[in-house]
Amino acid sequence: MEEIKGAIALIGYGLAAIGPGIGIGIVVGNAIQAMARQPEAAGMARTTMFLGIAFTEALALIGFVLFFIA
Amino acid sequence: MDVLILASESCDPATEIICAPENVIELFEFTEPLFSIGPFDFTRTVVLTFLAMFIVLALLFMGFRKTRVVPTKFGVAMESVVSFVRDDVAKGTIGPDGSKYSPYLLSIFMFILVANLFELTPGINFPLTSRMAIPLMLAVVTWLIFVIVGFAKNGLHYVLDIAWPKSVPLALRWLVGLIELVSVFVLRPITLAVRLFANLVAGHLMLTLLLGSGWIFFAAVGDIGVRSVIGLPWFAFGLLIFVFEFVVAVLQAYIFTLLSAVYIQTSVHPEH
Repeated sequence: MEEIKGAIALIGYGLAAIGPGIGIGIVVGNAIQAMARQPEAAGMARTTMFLGIAFTEALALIGFVLFFIA
Repeated sequence: MDVLILASESCDPATEIICAPENVIELFEFTEPLFSIGPFDFTRTVVLTFLAMFIVLALLFMGFRKTRVVPTKFGVAMESVVSFVRDDVAKGTIGPDGSKYSPYLLSIFMFILVANLFELTPGINFPLTSRMAIPLMLAVVTWLIFVIVGFAKNGLHYVLDIAWPKSVPLALRWLVGLIELVSVFVLRPITLAVRLFANLVAGHLMLTLLLGSGWIFFAAVGDIGVRSVIGLPWFAFGLLIFVFEFVVAVLQAYIFTLLSAVYIQTSVHPEH
């Protein structure tokens, strides 16, 4: 196999961002749906949405940190 | 100019695709101390840590110096921050006995908020939480609190319930228990710290690259003449990101506090 040169960590970060991107989309989309269906529960939905975003986003951020470590 | 990250001079763009900026080690390694008192070296980060601490203390002291019948505008603002952390975050997540933990949650919220906003303060431009030591330390404190509370409230059942979850079918119980053990005691503090750290590093680098490249083009107006206008879109985009980073700074402080509260809640009421 030929040697690969260049900033491979960049590709790794790009791959690491795919999953969380889709995940955050699903989280926020469903949270908006919940808020639209039950506006009186919007506060709870928002808090849970931030939690979900935080958990999902961690994967992308670990990829970002690995970019520096690699 | 320590505000800007400039590419190192030994870097040759023709052979290396990405040149590591010289000053990026400031985020990971110890820099030269500004001054020393006895055995303690005071680097820029340490000085800024003390500054953030004093700002938080001063804000709270000014807000609650004396109780007034008609509070000042500043007092109302500080009161709304405190009641937000106590009622929405602590009581809303942990439950009625959550107000016991609100002093800790308020401390980390205020400290992280001030530390994050240093990123956007002209003249400082350095988010304190982008040094791994500081978010890691805060995460370790949160870890200690939820582990100690878990053992104090539930005794040894705290670990046993995590390692041997009764609600899971027997065939999978050991696997789920193993995953849960690792995720609760190892991954929780790491992700808590890395989330804050990486968000602020990303924001800091983005701001520095955009505003820095804009500034470099403007500064070179003597050499390249009218072509330095190319720096204008970079600068404009950098200012857009500046506003975005303000939202990120506040949101990350909120998320760190909220996740600390959620982790403490799982130790107080382990059934849920």
